[in-house]
Amino acid sequence: MILVIGGAASGKLDYVKSLGYSDSSISDGFIGEEPVVYNLQALVAKDPEKAPGYYDELVGKEIVICDEVGSGIIPATREMRDAREATGRLCNRLAISADSVIRLVSGIPVKIK
Amino acid sequence: MDFLLTGGAACGKSTYAEKLVLGFPKPRFYVAAMRPYGEESFIRIKRHRKMRAEKGFETIEKQTDVDEIELPPHSTVLLECICNLVDNVMFDDQGNMYDVTDRIISEVLTLKSRAENLIVVTNDVGSEYSDYSAGVKAYVQAIGDINIALAQSFENVYELVCGIPVVLKGELR
Repeated sequence: MILVIGGAASGKLDYVKSLGYSDSSISDGFIGEEPVVYNLQALVAKDPEKAPGYYDELVGKEIVICDEVGSGIIPATREMRDAREATGRLCNRLAISADSVIRLVSGIPVKIK
Repeated sequence: MDFLLTGGAACGKSTYAEKLVLGFPKPRFYVAAMRPYGEESFIRIKRHRKMRAEKGFETIEKQTDVDEIELPPHSTVLLECICNLVDNVMFDDQGNMYDVTDRIISEVLTLKSRAENLIVVTNDVGSEYSDYSAGVKAYVQAIGDINIALAQSFENVYELVCGIPVVLKGELR
């Protein structure tokens, strides 16, 4: 599994498509049959408590794409704080199992693992 | 040696910081700067305490004035985190705000001069789009200025991303 991370609008989806994946191979905001999961942070935000349970399915995917959401000021609401925390912790675990971790910065893929 | 660890929330800074500390001999000290406030902070403190349990850490509760900490020779110190140090002195209960940037930089550099090895955890609070109030803007500015000053003085600066240390300055240990 390749974990692709980066800020919002940093070029993650374009990067994954440059690897040969098309829209039909991407599940957006859910875990489907497709080999690519996109917007993992949106799935986590729906119910942060369920996030750890997604791990097993996600490590079996070819690519997992997630926004980096931990930077900035602590969010005002409990829901947003929980979502931010759960997204970070899930990504930490996914990064350990990932074959590689690619971070997009201004459209440039930086291989951090 | 000294290390400044930055990154967003829940990116693995604490876990990595403890791994670094355990690479150095005892005595090892953990400076806990967080002032507990509400259930979430108790959960976080509990998690951090559990991580330190049985690892040969001595915890020093010091929420302000970390330059007053006295250390035995050859100490390794983990200070967590800069945001807490700033929170604890920048605002008071009456809603007053103080300029604490130079004070915090000086306190941390004094601590650095006393410790054989110092690991400092900070936070990337500036990387988001938001229309902050004047107080929050000043807070983000203070943390940013402190981070820049410390990064200039520290040998090693790493950004933690999904638990992975990305070297910004120095070498990976």
